[in-house]
Amino acid sequence: MVALLAGAPALPLDEAGKYVAGAYVVFLVLLVVYVAIMAAKLQRMERDLRDLAGFAENRANGETAAPGRGSEGQSISVSSGPSESRGGGR
Amino acid sequence: MTNSRVAFRAILAKDLRGELRSPQSLPAMALFAVTTFVVFRFGLDRTSLSGSLASGVLWATLLFAALLGVNRLFVAEREEGGFDAIRLAPIDRSALFAAKAAALFAYLLALELVVVPVFAIFFLDSAAALVPLVAVLVLADLGLAATGTLISSMAVQSRARDLLGPLVLLPLVVPLMIAATGASEPLLAVGGPGYHRFSGWLGVLCLYDLVFLLVGYAVFDFLLED
Amino acid sequence: MYGKGLRQLSIATVVALAASLSLVFFYAPLDADQGFIQKIFYLHVPLAITALVGFVVGGVFAILHLRSGDRRWDAWSYVSIHMSVIFGVAVLVTGSIWAKASWGHWWVWDEPTLVSFLIVFLMYATYYPFRYAIEDPERQGRYASVFAITAGAFVPLNFIAVRMAQSLVHPRVFATANGGLPGSMMFTFLACLAATGLLWITLVKLELTAKSASGQLKRLRRALDAPTPGGGSRIAPEVS
Repeated sequence: MVALLAGAPALPLDEAGKYVAGAYVVFLVLLVVYVAIMAAKLQRMERDLRDLAGFAENRANGETAAPGRGSEGQSISVSSGPSESRGGGR
Repeated sequence: MTNSRVAFRAILAKDLRGELRSPQSLPAMALFAVTTFVVFRFGLDRTSLSGSLASGVLWATLLFAALLGVNRLFVAEREEGGFDAIRLAPIDRSALFAAKAAALFAYLLALELVVVPVFAIFFLDSAAALVPLVAVLVLADLGLAATGTLISSMAVQSRARDLLGPLVLLPLVVPLMIAATGASEPLLAVGGPGYHRFSGWLGVLCLYDLVFLLVGYAVFDFLLED
Repeated sequence: MYGKGLRQLSIATVVALAASLSLVFFYAPLDADQGFIQKIFYLHVPLAITALVGFVVGGVFAILHLRSGDRRWDAWSYVSIHMSVIFGVAVLVTGSIWAKASWGHWWVWDEPTLVSFLIVFLMYATYYPFRYAIEDPERQGRYASVFAITAGAFVPLNFIAVRMAQSLVHPRVFATANGGLPGSMMFTFLACLAATGLLWITLVKLELTAKSASGQLKRLRRALDAPTPGGGSRIAPEVS
């Protein structure tokens, strides 16, 4: 029982304890940094998907509104689309 | 004779003839090595070397001189369309690997023929170690030739090709260098050549050579795919 | 579908990590020689083994890529190596901390496994500039596979050479920790190894899923003829 308690982290930190804690902290930090990087990627992906959805919607609207319009006209109206949806979506 | 063997001999002959006619790599490598010896003499502030120091200086210098040769190995192929020629020819493409590795092996041997005696003159007290050293040199050159050819063939097709070859090659040849210096160190000991673990180190060198000659030969086909 | 099973994997990983960490600190007995410092091994060694296996696995995926020409194997190979390099950073840092705690220096050349690992890490660190230097994506994938196979063959050779180079004066320190481990320590160690392995697999899958998702995004963008923003990785293989 004493041996078990001797291994528990609740003891006052002697020299060895600091190093062991340091090693585990490094591991944890690396893991969390990785999660943070993935989170940033996910955020960018969400923003891009939102833009794309807006773009697709605008294009669909543009087509139903004026089916006879040429492609040049469509792209002009559409290019303002993503920025609109960005403002509207928040 | 099979087509591949004809191709092998042709490529090897072309390379060796080219180097003999207008020597570019070999003089540069040799000069580089000898100058490096001078740098070591002053950097270490020693006029005679033995044991681990001698082994280290010799092999580090040979390695960096070899890198010069490795960098230039496929330049002609790249500039004159040699890769395309091999792709079109009805031969085993690994013949190019074999020929280039053989050429590089020959360059390294030629380099050592000049540089090692210079090293002995500069730093060694007796030439007794040179004879057994030949075995180590030959085996290490085989390994350098295999890995150098493999890496150089990829580096030459990239940007920053002069940088990429040495960058990737250096860690790759660390085991080779460990074995070569491990075998050389007792050979260059003060009292005369010793053979502490000599066969073991030669065994490691042989294993290294075998593995990378096989790997190089096996993957080279995929390297040349278009 | 790279994301399939990712949730179950993550849950399993969390459970395994929690269980093995508890074992380390509440169950495993104190080592007679090293004392509390030995606890670092339960982290450092499984990370190292996982990273090394990961490198070899990356080589296997590379062989599959070359033989089949299917670019997805290249993605698996790249991510395996990438994750193992990250784990490798953790191995070297925890190894350095252990060295400082045991020997008083932040690095020791006497420990052959650690030194071998450093060399392997240096080798695979060149994977990124190597990929980056090759512009054609298809060629990049092929060359990267050759690299992965070559480096995979290099790993065991490296360990053999470094081990042989060890002077016989300094005994292998890991031997005292791992050789003849009492049952409770071995059990804890194996639990940590399993947890670390699970973590590696989960993170690899996570990374591949993210890559695949961004690949699908590109595909969608192309289908819609939408304007593309700049950027995008030049070295990582495309997954779609």
